[in-house]
Amino acid sequence: MDYIFNGFLKAVELLASGNPETYSAVFTSLKVTSLSIASSLIVGIPLGFMLGYFDFTGKRQVRAVVDTLLALPTVVVGLLVYAFISRRGPMGELGLLFTIPGIAAAQTILITPIVISLTATAIESLDRRLGMTLIALGARGRQIIVASLLEARYAVLIAVVTAYGRAISEVGASMMIGGNIKWHTRTITTAIALETGKGEFALGIALGIVLLSLALFLNFLLMFLKRRRIA
Amino acid sequence: MESRPLYELADVVYRYGDHFELAVPNLSIPAGSSIGVTGPNGGGKTTLLKLLSFIEKPYKGTIFFDGRRIREQDHHVTREITILFQEPYLLKRTVFDNVAYGLKVRNERGNITAKVRGALNLVGLPYTVFAKRQWFELSGGEAQRVALASRLILNPRVLILDEPTASVDQESALLINEAVRSFREKYGTTLIVASHDRIWLSTVTDSIMKVRKGRLESFDPENLIPGPWIHTDNGLHTKALSDGRHIKALSPPGKQTTGYLRPADIVVATNCPSDLSTQNILEGIITQMTFENNEKAVFLSASVAELSLSCKLTQAAVEKLRLFPGKKVWLLFKASSFRWH
Repeated sequence: MDYIFNGFLKAVELLASGNPETYSAVFTSLKVTSLSIASSLIVGIPLGFMLGYFDFTGKRQVRAVVDTLLALPTVVVGLLVYAFISRRGPMGELGLLFTIPGIAAAQTILITPIVISLTATAIESLDRRLGMTLIALGARGRQIIVASLLEARYAVLIAVVTAYGRAISEVGASMMIGGNIKWHTRTITTAIALETGKGEFALGIALGIVLLSLALFLNFLLMFLKRRRIA
Repeated sequence: MESRPLYELADVVYRYGDHFELAVPNLSIPAGSSIGVTGPNGGGKTTLLKLLSFIEKPYKGTIFFDGRRIREQDHHVTREITILFQEPYLLKRTVFDNVAYGLKVRNERGNITAKVRGALNLVGLPYTVFAKRQWFELSGGEAQRVALASRLILNPRVLILDEPTASVDQESALLINEAVRSFREKYGTTLIVASHDRIWLSTVTDSIMKVRKGRLESFDPENLIPGPWIHTDNGLHTKALSDGRHIKALSPPGKQTTGYLRPADIVVATNCPSDLSTQNILEGIITQMTFENNEKAVFLSASVAELSLSCKLTQAAVEKLRLFPGKKVWLLFKASSFRWH
C-alpha cells in the first residue's frame, strides 16, 4: 500500500513544482479537446437543430443511427481514422497521423453524435408555442434558429459538457492516432496508461488528480446548468 | 376609418387531419375595422386567427392582404401583423428582453428603453418593478400582460388576440381590455379578437362573426343596454339616454344589470307611429346596413343617442320602406322584449 501513498505524495510534489512532463500532457489534452469540441459543435449543433426541429421522411431512422453512434467504441474510431490518415490511406497526404489535429479528428467523430443527439432532444422538448410566438413577434429564418437554441441553451450546454467529458477522458483513439509521443502527442489519459504500465505511479496519479479535478469541475457545471434549466 | 378591404379570403379551406375542416368561402375585413370572433371551443376560431396572422397556410384558396397575394418571403408584410395567444409563451429572458425582442429582430434599436417603458405602462406594469424580472418571476396574468406589451410595442397594422383574457385573473383581464381599447383608439389599428366576453367585445369591436363547426356564421349582434335602470311608478324601469329620452324595460333583476335585446325584436318604421301598446318608440338615424347571405336578412344599425341599436329585417321590408344609411327611422320594441343574464 505504501507505494500508492508515496505515489500520491510525489504526485502532489510534481503538480506543485510545475513538473514540465506532467504539464505537457495536461496542455496537450486541453489542446486536443478544445479542437475536437470546437469542430464537433460547428457540425453537431446545426445538425442537431435540424434533426430536432424539422419533420422529414426517415427522421426516426436517422435518429436511431445517431443514437447508436453514441456507443461508438473509441478503438473502432481509432482504427477507422488510422486507416484513413495513415500513409496508405485515402487521406494519408495530409500527414495527420501522430499529430494533435489527427487525435482531434478522431475525437470529433466520437463526440459529434453526442452533440447532435442531445441538441436534437433539447430542441424537441421546447414548448410548441415557442415557434408560433417567435413568428408572431416577427422572427424569420435564422432568427428563429438562434432564438430556439437560446431557449434551449441550458440543455445545449449540457450536451457540450457531456461531449467534453467524453473527449477528455478518451484513451483508445488518442493512443492509436497520437502514438503517445512524449512532449508532442502524449495526453493525460495516454500518459496514465503508459506510466502505470511502467510501474511509475507518481506521474500517473498526478495526472489522474488533474483528470478527476476536470471531471469534478465539469460535473459541478452540469449540476448548475441542470438547476438553471429546471428554474 | 379606411374602408377598403385589408383582408380578402376567397375559398379558403384549412384541414387538420381528417377530423376538422375550416371553410371560409368569402370574407372581407376592412382596414381599420375591429372584428370580434365568437363561437364554441373547437369551432375553428383559433385556426381562423392563425390563418389571418399567416402563421398557418390554407390548404386551399387564397388570402389577399392589402390586395396582394402573400408569399412566404413577404416578411415586411407579415411583420405588420401580430397575434397574442390565450396561453402566453415568454422567452426565457427578462421582461425587458421579452418586450424588446420584436423590435430587435426588426433591427429597430433606437429609443428602445423608452418604447419598452411605454409598452409596459400601457399594460399596467411599472417599468422599474418589472423590467428586470425573469420570465419565471411573473404570475399568469402578468405574463399575459408582458406578452401583450411585446405585441403593442411593435405598433402593428393588425393586432389579433385569441381569447387574451380567458386564463388570467380579473384584474389582469380588466387591464388587458383597457390597454387594447386605448391602444386601438390611439392608433386605429385593425383589431381581430376572439373572446367569450361579449360585453367587452361589444365595446371594442364594430361587428362580430361566429365560427362554429368550421363555418362562419353571421352572429346576431344582440343589443346590449347597460343600466342603471330606475324604477318608476307604473311598474316599469327606465334607463335615461344622454339626450334626455328614456328606454323602458320590464323588471330588470338589478339596477346595473345589462339588458339584451334581440335585433329581430325591434320593429322599424319610417313614420312616427301613434296609438301603439309598445312602450319604446325611439327616433334614430340609420348608420350601417349589411346583407347577411347565410340568413337572407339585412342587419341595420341605427344610432339612438349614445346607443347603436342593431335591427334584423327581411330584404322585402328594406325595399318596401326604402331604407338607406342616413335615413331617419323609428325603432319600436316592447318593454318585455328585454332578456336578462
